[in-house]
Amino acid sequence: MIVVENLTKSFRLSKEQKKEKVAPGDCNHVDAVAGISFSCRPGRIFTLLGPNGAGKTTALRLIATMLRPSSGRIEVAGFDTVKEAGQVRRHIGFLTGSTGLYERLTPTEMIDYYGRLHGMDAALLARRKADLFRLLGIEAFAGRRIGKLSSGMKQKVSIARTLIHDPQVLVFDEPTVGLDVITAKNIMQLIRQCRGDGKTVIFSTHIMGEVSLLSDDLAIIHRGRLLYNGSYDVFIKEMQAKSLEDEFIRRVEEA
Amino acid sequence: MKMIAIIFRKELKDMMRDRRTLFFMIIMPFLIIFLIVNLSMRLGMDMEKRAQEKELHVAVLSAVPLPVFVNLLQTMEKVKIDTQVARTEINRAVNDGRLDFAVSFPDDFSEKFDSQGTSEVPVYYKASTSENERALGRIQKVLEAYGKQLLNLRLEKKNLTSAFVEPIKIVEMDISSIREKMGQRVGGMLPYLLVIFCFLGAMYPAIDLAAGEKERGTMETLLVSPATRLQIVVGKFLVVTASGIFTALSSVLWLYLVFRQSKMIPPEILSVVLKLIEWKSLLLLFSMIIPLCAFFAAILLSVSVFAKSYKEASSIIAPLNMIIIIPVLIGIFPGIKLSATTALIPILNISLATKEIIAGTISPLLMAEVFLVLFALAAVGLIFCTSWFNREAVIFRGV
Repeated sequence: MIVVENLTKSFRLSKEQKKEKVAPGDCNHVDAVAGISFSCRPGRIFTLLGPNGAGKTTALRLIATMLRPSSGRIEVAGFDTVKEAGQVRRHIGFLTGSTGLYERLTPTEMIDYYGRLHGMDAALLARRKADLFRLLGIEAFAGRRIGKLSSGMKQKVSIARTLIHDPQVLVFDEPTVGLDVITAKNIMQLIRQCRGDGKTVIFSTHIMGEVSLLSDDLAIIHRGRLLYNGSYDVFIKEMQAKSLEDEFIRRVEEA
Repeated sequence: MKMIAIIFRKELKDMMRDRRTLFFMIIMPFLIIFLIVNLSMRLGMDMEKRAQEKELHVAVLSAVPLPVFVNLLQTMEKVKIDTQVARTEINRAVNDGRLDFAVSFPDDFSEKFDSQGTSEVPVYYKASTSENERALGRIQKVLEAYGKQLLNLRLEKKNLTSAFVEPIKIVEMDISSIREKMGQRVGGMLPYLLVIFCFLGAMYPAIDLAAGEKERGTMETLLVSPATRLQIVVGKFLVVTASGIFTALSSVLWLYLVFRQSKMIPPEILSVVLKLIEWKSLLLLFSMIIPLCAFFAAILLSVSVFAKSYKEASSIIAPLNMIIIIPVLIGIFPGIKLSATTALIPILNISLATKEIIAGTISPLLMAEVFLVLFALAAVGLIFCTSWFNREAVIFRGV
C-alpha cells in the first residue's frame, strides 16, 4: 500500500530556470510536485501518466525515499518515508528504463550484492536467485559480465535485481523507455504478474498504449498537480474525447 | 559495519576489474618510475660523458706569451689551444662555435703582476649549452692553478710562504652520516612520488564510484537499497583510500625494483640508497600514506559526488593535480624544515616529514603532529563528503 497525502516537493531554481519558469512556486523555487494526494492498493496497478517534466519521476523518487518531501507525507507498506526510510527501502523494488547495472559484475554477483544489501541470508538468497534466474531465463548467461550482455538480457538482470528481496511495493519509473518491443512486452508482463501476486504496483509512463493495457487506477500529472485521480474504468467512461490520447491532451490543455 | 563491508567488497571487486584503474594502480607507477630513473640517469651520464670527451677549442689572448698558462692548459685532456685569435674576433668565434672558450688576459697583465696589482681575466663562452657549463669548471681549475703559481712567485720574492696570505684555512668536517646526506637528496624525490601516486591512485576510482555511478544510473538503485547514505559513502571512501594506498605502495615497490635492476647506477651509490630503506622508515612512511590517501579520497569523492558526469568530474579534478604539487615543491626547497608550523600544512608536512624519516632525523613530537593534522583533515574531509552526499541538490544534480 502506498498513501500519498498533500505531497509537495520544491527545488531551488538555477538562473537559467528562473528565466524559463512555467511551473508553480515562488520566484526562487519550482514545485515539481505541488500538493498531490493519492493511494495505491495491493493487487492493483496505479499508473502515473504525464508529459515530460510533469513531476512523475520526482513523485516516484519521493516514494522511494531518494528525495525528502518539502511538505506532506508518504506511507509505503505502513512505514513513513522520512521517519522510517530504511524500512521503506526494505519493502520496495525500484526499476527504471536505464538498467542501473554494474557492467563489470556478472548477473550472479549483481544479484548477490543486492540480496546482501537487503539483509537476505545465504540460503534464502540462493533459493530466490535460482527461482528468478529460471523464471527470467538468466541461467545461460549468469556468469558473463553484464557489460557483454544484450539490452534484453540486461533488462532481465535488472528485473531480477528489483525482485530479489520479494518486495511488497514495486515502483516502475518509465520502465520501457528506450527498450525494444520484445523487452518492453516482457516488462509489461512482469508488471501484470506483480499485480497477480498481490503486490502494490505504481508505474509512470507517457505512453498511452501502456496505460490502456495495464492500468487499474490512474493519475494524470501536469506541472506537479494532479489533473485526474481515480479508477481507470471511470476515466474511460467519463472521457469526452474520442481516444485516450485525445482525452489526455484535452485535460492537459485545459489545465 | 556489515553493510559497509558488503559495499566495500563489491566496490573493490568492481574496481579491480577495471582496466583503467589497474593501469593507474600498477602500470603507470612502473612506467613513470622506470622513465624517471633510467632517463635521468642516462641523460646525466651522457651529458657528463660528452662534456668530458668533447675537444675544447680554447683561445688564449695576451699581449705577451704566457707559456706557463698554455702548458697548464695543455695538461688538460682533449684541448686545442689557439693563440692567434684577435680580440675583435672573440664574440663572433664563440658565437659561431669555432671557439668554446676564450681566455683574455689584459694588455697590461705583466705590468700589473709586477706592480702587485690584480688583473681581471674574462673567460668568454656560451652558457646556453650544458656541455660548456660543465667544461667551464675545467678552465676555471686551470686558471686557479695558474693564479696560485703567480701568487707563489710574488710571495717568494718577498720571502713569504703561502701561509702569509692564508691565515685561516677552512677544513670542512661534515659529521652527517651518509644516510643523512642521502636522505636530504633521495628524500626530496620520494615525497614527490608518494603524493602524486596517492592522488593518482585515488583519482580514477573516486570519479568512477560517484560521478560514474550517476552517469550509468546505478546510483539511483543503490540509494533505494536499505544501505544508508553514510554507509554508502564510507564503503566507497574506503575503496578509494585503499586504491590510493595500493598505488603509492606499488610505486615504492617499483622504485625499489627499478633501482635494483638498473645497470646505470654505480654499485656504491646503489648499496647506500638501498640501505636507507629500513623497516622502521618504511612503516613510518606507510603510516603517513594512510591518512594522506584518506584526505585525498574525501576530497576527490566530494568533487565526484558533485559532478554531473564522469567528464565533468575529470575536468574539475585535473587542475587539482597541479595544486597538490605546489606544497611538495615548496618542501624540496633548501632551508624549509619540518617545524611545529610547517607540520600543520597538509602535503607540505608529508614532504618534509618524508625527508626526515629517510634521513633518520625525524622528531617524535613533530611526527605525532603530522599524524594528528593528517587524520584530522581526513576526518573533516569524510564528514564533508558525507554531508555533501546527503544533499539532494548535489546527489541529483543533473540527474
